[in-house]
Amino acid sequence: MKKTIAAVGIVAGLCGTVGGVFAAEPGQIARGQEKYEYWCATCHAGDPREGGRYLPGTASLNAKYKGDRPGALADRTDLLAPYVKLVIRRGMEAMPFFRKTEISDTEMEDIAAYLARNAK
Amino acid sequence: MPIKLPPGISASTHASAVKELQRVVGSDWVFTSEEDLDTYRDAYSIRWGHEDEYLASAAVAPKSVEEVQAIVRIANKYKIPLYPISTGKNLTYGGSAPTYSGSIVLDLKRMNRVLEVDEKRAFALVEPGCSYFDLYRYVKDKGLKLWIDCPDPGWGSPIGNALEHGVGYTASQFRDHWGAHCGMEVVTPTGEIMRTGMGALPGAKTWQEYKYGVGPHVDGLFAQSNFGIVTKMGFWLMPQPEAWLTGTVNVPKYSDFIPLVDHCNYLEDAMIATGQAIYSSGLGGPQNGAEVQALMANRYPTLAELDAYAEKKGVPAWRVKLQFYGPPEVIQARWEYAQERIAKAIPGATFTNFETLPMPLTEAQEKTHHLVNFGIPNMAIFAGMAREPGVADPKDGHTDFFAVCPRTGEAVFKALKLVYDTQKELGVPLTASPFRGPVTWHHKCFFMGAPPVDSQRNDPAFNRRMRTLYDAYVKKFSDAGFPPYRTNPGAQDLLAAQFSFNDNVLLRFQEALKDGIDPNGILSPGRYGVWPKRLRPKRA
Repeated sequence: MKKTIAAVGIVAGLCGTVGGVFAAEPGQIARGQEKYEYWCATCHAGDPREGGRYLPGTASLNAKYKGDRPGALADRTDLLAPYVKLVIRRGMEAMPFFRKTEISDTEMEDIAAYLARNAK
Repeated sequence: MPIKLPPGISASTHASAVKELQRVVGSDWVFTSEEDLDTYRDAYSIRWGHEDEYLASAAVAPKSVEEVQAIVRIANKYKIPLYPISTGKNLTYGGSAPTYSGSIVLDLKRMNRVLEVDEKRAFALVEPGCSYFDLYRYVKDKGLKLWIDCPDPGWGSPIGNALEHGVGYTASQFRDHWGAHCGMEVVTPTGEIMRTGMGALPGAKTWQEYKYGVGPHVDGLFAQSNFGIVTKMGFWLMPQPEAWLTGTVNVPKYSDFIPLVDHCNYLEDAMIATGQAIYSSGLGGPQNGAEVQALMANRYPTLAELDAYAEKKGVPAWRVKLQFYGPPEVIQARWEYAQERIAKAIPGATFTNFETLPMPLTEAQEKTHHLVNFGIPNMAIFAGMAREPGVADPKDGHTDFFAVCPRTGEAVFKALKLVYDTQKELGVPLTASPFRGPVTWHHKCFFMGAPPVDSQRNDPAFNRRMRTLYDAYVKKFSDAGFPPYRTNPGAQDLLAAQFSFNDNVLLRFQEALKDGIDPNGILSPGRYGVWPKRLRPKRA
């Protein structure tokens, strides 16, 4: 499982420059932002509190990227929608996967569109 | 993972049941694909990847109590077990996976309404899919001057957490979430809707205020159990206090912990300091790691050795952060009394880190305070597992072990040595320490944690070792009279078996109830050791 996610991560990195081709409509990005705030921001927001430690997702990614990339997901410019969706449904390390009763497929598409909105 | 059918149920019977479930909730809300069912695995399971990992055969997600009833009738018709979950975030204790493989998970997440919050009478009524975040946002959006009491992860369900005997962080009478519940609606295993306590009275006016109604009080049957599906539940809430005050008591000697605990118990029981008392030691921590290991090199240190070590280090052996809620003048007087009382009794006690704040916290204060002590749900606890400097190899999860101990220093010392003894006996890496304080989630008992038993989704052999360690903790602590207050599904039979007074009469009583209430044995077989007759293991 980890290998699969890592592989998609590499693909996401390589394909980052074409992310903008699949531009989402503004309504979808707004809906995605709303669901991101509800489901994801409680761990992944950019709050500087205690170096982000109170936001375990941000703390973990800060430690992983050591300043090369933002720890807060909404600030990333290298996330592509397929990768975001994979992590939502399959989890990563201590982050568990999310069921469709929590984040429906449509809501997942919206969140992915929001997080991929700045992909370069 | 390949889909496992319940033993004794054919594929065609299962398919017929699934079709009927689809007619009740719509095909979008019945999940049978391998990909969907993977999200119903227990993400933190120490059985992950093992042949006896608990797996669902399907999941069904109703939107209403009537749909829950219809699902229960279908399960009875086909004798297929159901396993209800609330928000499914009971991580470390089973997550969204069933306790009996092949069960159909009854996912109640879509039933997520806050039905009522009464500010004047300080109670709430919610559905199982409602999370602590949802309830907190509801109260905040309406500007109600009430606090909720939440556990560490804010995405959990007040109902699910209380039914697991979960615990929290504010004032004494609210931290025990089961103790603070009042009134429930239950769908019975035969599909009837029942209301408990005053809810049984048509036109009741105090369903969420007076627990008992009349006659036998049955609410306890629905916690850590398999006697019904709770579809509504009430909770008492705490009025927002005018202010919060904290101060830390420091004591020099390791053995000072014994009188310190006695005084803090008095302060809490006499309702002088009703906030959570947070114990810690100045002698623990990574900076002392090598010295602590040296202390335990050959055997567990004696009290005299620990006192000598504390004296040598010259830092307080123990600290307790006391917390007070109430009008500023009142809590100031209470804190002064606490200082006077402890200063008289424990030579060398010092008092530091005073702080008083009007409530609610400002946005800036929220960034610097332990939010759960203010009834504000968050996810900070997960930072303990996340990758960070000093944590080279983040784990995929863990299963918690917290033993219920008497509130005495002596019991704490005994529990700390039990962790050491268990780890030594099994030859696992030594993470025991004489400097772990008790956890004060419950106001009448200490919960003593063993260092988390980790899980790795890509390492079944590692998980196998962790299962052995966890079971050893259950056995050893239960033998000492300190059983865990809850456990992951894999250890529920073992834990239930420890409650063996008079030839396991309690479990036999529960089984007799199970047979009467759930004749087809369709609801959560095996949960906390209670099996329906047809699946019951034979006892020696």
